[in-house]
Amino acid sequence: MRVDPNYVSSLVGSLDQAQASQQQLTAELSSGVSITSLSQNPVASGENVLLLNQIQQDDSFTQSSSLVSGQLQVADSSLGSVVSQLTQAISLATSANNGTMNSSNIQSVGIQISGILNEVESLANTSYQGQYIFSGGQTSTTPFTTSTAASPAVTTYNGDQDVNYLGTPNGQKIQLNVPGSQIFLGSGTNSVFGALNNLVADYSTGTVNTTQAVADTQALGTAMNFVSQQRVSIDNSITQLTAASDAVTSDQTEVTGAQTNLMQADVAEVSTQLSLSETQQTALEDVIAQLDSASNSLFSKLQ
Amino acid sequence: MGSGRRKGGCRRRMGMGTISSAFSLISGALDADQSALSIVANNVANVNTPGYTEEVPNWQENLPVTINGVSYGAGVTETGATSMRDRVLEDRLDQQQQLASASSARLTALNSVQALFTPDSGSSTAAAGDIGSDITSFFSSFSSLESDPTNVSLREEVLSSAKVMAGDVSNAAASLNSQSSALAQQASGVTSQVNSLTTSIAQLNQQIETTSPNADAGTLEDQRQQDLSQLSQLVGINQVTTENNGLSVTTTSGQVLVDEGTSFQMTSGSVAGATHFFVGSTDVTQQLASGGGQLGGTLTALTQDIPNALTSLDQVAYGISTSVNALNNAGTNLDGETGSVAVPIDIFSQPTVVAGSAAAMSVVMTDPNQIAAAALGLGTGDNSNASAMANLAKQSIVNGQTPTNFYSSFVSTLGATVSGVQAENTAENASVTQLQSRNNALSGVNLNDEAAVMSKMESSYQAASQVFTMLNTIIAAALNLGDQTTVA
Repeated sequence: MRVDPNYVSSLVGSLDQAQASQQQLTAELSSGVSITSLSQNPVASGENVLLLNQIQQDDSFTQSSSLVSGQLQVADSSLGSVVSQLTQAISLATSANNGTMNSSNIQSVGIQISGILNEVESLANTSYQGQYIFSGGQTSTTPFTTSTAASPAVTTYNGDQDVNYLGTPNGQKIQLNVPGSQIFLGSGTNSVFGALNNLVADYSTGTVNTTQAVADTQALGTAMNFVSQQRVSIDNSITQLTAASDAVTSDQTEVTGAQTNLMQADVAEVSTQLSLSETQQTALEDVIAQLDSASNSLFSKLQ
Repeated sequence: MGSGRRKGGCRRRMGMGTISSAFSLISGALDADQSALSIVANNVANVNTPGYTEEVPNWQENLPVTINGVSYGAGVTETGATSMRDRVLEDRLDQQQQLASASSARLTALNSVQALFTPDSGSSTAAAGDIGSDITSFFSSFSSLESDPTNVSLREEVLSSAKVMAGDVSNAAASLNSQSSALAQQASGVTSQVNSLTTSIAQLNQQIETTSPNADAGTLEDQRQQDLSQLSQLVGINQVTTENNGLSVTTTSGQVLVDEGTSFQMTSGSVAGATHFFVGSTDVTQQLASGGGQLGGTLTALTQDIPNALTSLDQVAYGISTSVNALNNAGTNLDGETGSVAVPIDIFSQPTVVAGSAAAMSVVMTDPNQIAAAALGLGTGDNSNASAMANLAKQSIVNGQTPTNFYSSFVSTLGATVSGVQAENTAENASVTQLQSRNNALSGVNLNDEAAVMSKMESSYQAASQVFTMLNTIIAAALNLGDQTTVA
């Protein structure tokens, strides 16, 4: 059989292919990305979307968690101060109840406890970035106000029972707040403001009904323990948040590694391929130059 | 070719006859050689003519003259050139060319489609314009809002990521739509090329039927074949040889384009907003789309690939817009308001049907306070509605899948389609090259071959002319009866 006399055109076709492959490899080298179009690796392209989604979610959670961790820290330290204020109030009340104080001293204890009451109220009205943190969902409403119209005075809660949660990328929910009424206005003897207001009333006249005052002091002790218990749920949230952040950070590292492996060009491999392709191109060009030379035609040998 | 041997063959039972018959035999040989040489010259002259088929001389032994039972050879005549043509091979090449052109046109269209969805490498600059990243950013902005639902800058972030996503989705849809109209225009442009080729084939049919009803028509057939192979690059066709060396051309599904001397014009027109193609009054769009050729490939992209991509984008836009709007209307915004059917508080323009949602996707909310982060009836510091909206990212809101999973499988499917067509095109091109090479092996002009034949014909011509000189000397000697001087 005869050979195709136009063999050069098929060689030129091969040359085109070699050049296209070089172009692709050069693009991979210069961009550092091995997949520059979907068709190059459809499965990896789809996988890449999912991995990037995971990385972005992790990233976004890390940012959110640093925001809420500030708020939780403020809540925790406020409750810490409340507990130390209450400890001080209990020790003042205990000394006033032992029957050794004169009337003016008792009144002074009453004034000090009243000061503690104001301090606790202002701690309960703590805000973070302009939002009250113990008012449930009513973050723009001052959660506690005290009315002195009656004696003992009455502290009321203006917030609601709403609890916010932060979702983690793996679906866990972290509690972000405890409604103020649950901390400071618990039922029965668990009410901090109730006990404090009662004590202020107990010592206001200078004469003490010891039985009543001891009972109120004990109530304040119970209420303080209750605050400490509520503080535990805030502490738990802080621990959970730290653990979740750590988990998310390590997940992000892992997923980023996977995504990089998927998309990044292996420079050594691509360089080798490029060099091979260049050699092939040179060889093809040589072959074409030799075959296509006019002096190779039989006509040139006929004189 | 082989003229010397054939001339020798004539001597089987031959006496020398007369000197004048020897003269006639030799001058016939000279004529035949010269004729063969001019065929070679014609081949060489057309070595680069597209579609030219190599021609070889035909030799025919003249009938011997029998006198008194003795047979006298009468030499050889060159009766004309035969084109080295294999119709089956040419037809096969045309068929394969149709497939290759179709996949190549489709691939070009698909490549522009997939360029809109270049994989995001993960770096922040590359993320710009990537719809997958946009979707994640949008839902992540709700996760951030969860941490501080009253924060206006976080609310602004939700709106700005919504705008980026809506912008990228609607831009992609607009690009697909403009690609679609560009392809439709290109397809209409093909019809005029098809018409001029079918007209030319019909004319050539007439000439061939008139001049060469029973044999190969040489260059006329070369031209007709050239037209057919060009036509094969444009549309899918079948060819049927008719009597008197004529040819009928139909589309692959049987619509007649050329019937011997008559051609039927193809026209294009708009039907319900889409470009349709007609032969006479018959709508052949569907047939052409599955037929092959550039037009087939373009129509496949136009009626199948681009609409598929658009539908997926529409589903993304529709799913996200309607679900997010519904939740936003079910919560309480920072001003304490809740949307209603009569006065909805939408983030995205609310689509009514899936089709066209992507192109129309836009953010209608301008005031970030209108984002309903709190649940219905709760204080504005509540974040449960923001949580719910962030959770949409994990819910099957786009055609039964989560938005990210849907987008991921969309890009995988698109990538696989492009890669499949690419592989198809590579295989078909390789097959075309192979067939082309086989056809060239038969029909192409090989200069070395021509040089060899020319050299052989020249030698034959020289040999014949030497015999002629010898005969001349003999006849001079006979006329002069031995006297050397009278006649030279």
